Amino acid sequence: MKEGLLLVLFLIALTSLCDTINQLFLKSTIDSLNFTPTFNIVKIFKFIFQLLITPRLWLGFVFSLISLCIWLVVLSKADLNFAFSADSMHYIFIALASRFVLKEKMGFNRWLGTGLIVVGIIFVSLS
Amino acid sequence: MFKKKVTFKILLLLIASDILETTVHFFFKKSTLGANHGQVTDLATAAVLWKAVFCSPFFWVGLAAVVSVFVLWSLILSKIDLSVAVPIASFSYILVPVVSIIFLHEQITVLRWLGVFFVLAGVILVSLSSKERMEQAK
Repeated sequence: MKEGLLLVLFLIALTSLCDTINQLFLKSTIDSLNFTPTFNIVKIFKFIFQLLITPRLWLGFVFSLISLCIWLVVLSKADLNFAFSADSMHYIFIALASRFVLKEKMGFNRWLGTGLIVVGIIFVSLS
Repeated sequence: MFKKKVTFKILLLLIASDILETTVHFFFKKSTLGANHGQVTDLATAAVLWKAVFCSPFFWVGLAAVVSVFVLWSLILSKIDLSVAVPIASFSYILVPVVSIIFLHEQITVLRWLGVFFVLAGVILVSLSSKERMEQAK
């Protein structure tokens, strides 16, 4: 198990990274569409359609697919609890990517909150 | 200004997408259990696993849930920041233990409660930070 542990951790980091890249593409595509929030079904369908015909989104999907394939391998190798606790690094990747790529304004509270969530997830998953 | 805040409706959407996300993981795990996988050591054994997974009906149910999650998630992201949406989506780490207690009568360890408390505190902090930012932007 010990020598496999590092490999599993590396694979989990890789899925988290691919997933983060996918989220970045998705969020930037949605931002570029300037969709006004609504609960009108027709408008929502139009919005999803517009999303789906944007090439950038499909680039994100490719990363998502890679992430899914690696995740399936991880699930077959590792315990679900361990996999999820290690997957909490995803939140750190997302926070960093939002700050430096999407230029979202991260206040002190948001950093602290994200950190607490990561610690909490590790506790929940390992217990 | 108001619509950028984390409103009750967005919170409901997030919880819905969370529950769906949990079913996705459940079905995907189920689909890998059906496969007679020994150890995945190289590409060839990984290919064997993937083939078994793609043939499993659980995988396709999971995939259908993925599509629903995508629609919900797109709607959520059109309203709030990525660095707010993703942490709040960690709500499932609170939901699962609570559901386990109420419906499955499981014993929850102190460490797990501590974890739930940390996640809850984090989610609240992140939600508040979104409102704060909006007020500053005004």
